[in-house]
Amino acid sequence: MFALILPAVLVVAALLVGPMVLLARISLNQYSATQLMIEATTAQNYLNAVADPYYRGVMLTTLVMAFICTALTLALGFPAAYRLARMESRWKSLVTVLTLIPLLVGNVVRAAGWLGLLGNDGLINATLRGLGLTSEPLRLVYTPGAVAVGTIAVVLPYMILTLSSVIESIPRAVEEAAANLGASAFTVFRRVVWPLALPGTVAGCVLVFILCMNTYATAVLLGGSQFKMMAPAVYDQFSKGMNWPFGAALAFILLAATLVLTVLGTALLGRRYAR
Amino acid sequence: MGTLLLDGVSKRYGEAVAVDRVDLDIRQGELVALLGPSGCGKTTTLRMVAGFIEPTAGRVVIGGRDVTRLPPYARDTGMVFQSYALFPHMSVADNVGFGLEMRKVARAERDRRVAEALRLVRLDALADRLPRQLSGGQQQRVALARALVVSPAVFLLDEPLSNLDAKLRAEVGLEIRELQKRLGLTTLMVTHDQDEALAMADRLVVMEHGRVLQVGTAEDLYERPANTFVAGFVGRCNLLPGAREGADVFRLTSGAAVPCAPDAAAPGGLLAIRPERIEVAPDPAGAGRLRAMTYLGGRTEYHLDLAGEAIVAVSPTPLPDDPRRRLNAGDPVRITWIPDAARVIPTADAASVTPTPEKSPAR
Repeated sequence: MFALILPAVLVVAALLVGPMVLLARISLNQYSATQLMIEATTAQNYLNAVADPYYRGVMLTTLVMAFICTALTLALGFPAAYRLARMESRWKSLVTVLTLIPLLVGNVVRAAGWLGLLGNDGLINATLRGLGLTSEPLRLVYTPGAVAVGTIAVVLPYMILTLSSVIESIPRAVEEAAANLGASAFTVFRRVVWPLALPGTVAGCVLVFILCMNTYATAVLLGGSQFKMMAPAVYDQFSKGMNWPFGAALAFILLAATLVLTVLGTALLGRRYAR
Repeated sequence: MGTLLLDGVSKRYGEAVAVDRVDLDIRQGELVALLGPSGCGKTTTLRMVAGFIEPTAGRVVIGGRDVTRLPPYARDTGMVFQSYALFPHMSVADNVGFGLEMRKVARAERDRRVAEALRLVRLDALADRLPRQLSGGQQQRVALARALVVSPAVFLLDEPLSNLDAKLRAEVGLEIRELQKRLGLTTLMVTHDQDEALAMADRLVVMEHGRVLQVGTAEDLYERPANTFVAGFVGRCNLLPGAREGADVFRLTSGAAVPCAPDAAAPGGLLAIRPERIEVAPDPAGAGRLRAMTYLGGRTEYHLDLAGEAIVAVSPTPLPDDPRRRLNAGDPVRITWIPDAARVIPTADAASVTPTPEKSPAR
């Protein structure tokens, strides 16, 4: 048994844990404008990040964005996942593949696509101008809304696939039994499907929340320079600011926030119906 | 309480006909079983009564009310699912109380009726358990209680015994039957198991390829099968090809003349005779030959050959000093039956509908 998991353990240790430890060490170093960084053991970078209103704002934006996107993705994904799970025809595998196809296109390419659609000279604005409905282009891109739309489009397939596999495991007969006993479609959903799908719903939301918290390309390309989320902020420190210790500290704050919220969410929601 | 009427109910999926013009009239308090092999349309018929499948033609009438276009939740049927379909996240009591809750029955009244229903199925001690903590038999009794507690107009049973082990099956079948009689429940049951159907139902409906082949009591189907399919499906049956030669003589295709019941309506075709109606005796001058004998404890099966026709006979195992106990494969035997035990069935009727004259079921 151990021999089977050993290669995976080694890869994870070498490529994930190693760099993380290194990053953790860097986050405790001191910034130097001339020497890249100075070896030290200080919490100053963390304190600076927490104290700075700008980074508090970035963190808040990231959290609000991730929560809203997760909630909307769930609202959009659940009906689709239910439909997919209850499909019996030969179209089911085709629809599953169609759900997966967006994952074949990278985030950057997709964000570029959204630019082509939403940009000042994009398809929507060009059409509106062509029809004479507007003279000035509508500001669609470089808004939080654009980032939300772009992000949801990225994470929706993950949500649908996670949910549909859970819904598929709920026997159809259990729903029919509820209907037979007098429950309307909505009551069947509320009393049977939702509680039974809850563990999978929590799993799907956690997965999507993590992806949203770490949105990079979509946030940069569709959010513009005024809109800042955590992952781009971390990158800025490493590439533009050359302040590695501060960037590393931001990275760990993002990691910690994501971790705490997912663990809390799983524990709270998961316990509600677990008996 | 109620009655159930199916009036020309059909279900088509494109070209395929799953259920073909089924007519059925179930009286108050009667238990009717739909019996047939898998794919015969019996489950589709049941699901059309429950409202899970919409008929392409015909009417479903429950208690005088046309429910054909009503959703399942507005039909007042109580269904016991083959898989039981208990709500895994609810306690036994909550499962049973669900239907009452949907009917907005007040808490106190609900608790009282749930307790009563659980007592009825002897599960009152397990009210707080979750379904997964129960045995299969107990889960089934919860499913029964859950369907019974709402006093449905029509009680629906989908293969109620198929998930139980053989030992429990007969016992639970009788228990359900007793409960159904005591509460006077109008019941439609689906099964592929003829023993189950014969033991539990007032009347049976034999289906094949979406059509009703015969409706009647257990005795009707067993003693007077309308066609070869019913003869072969309900109980075991020897079917011997040939033609009627006299009032009570049948000439087998292979040449031998055998006795048959006089019936002017059936000139020729197949002679249907039940294995347990055949007498076998050692006889050096007998026309038959024993091919094999299977000792099954209480009964013995004889695999016989009569002028080239394979015949199976079954009888209670003879006493040790009986000459039949000393028969060996290849021995000549005399094969006899009384004429009334053998009925002639026309061959070309396998798919035709021949209703048996309706008889009142024994109460």
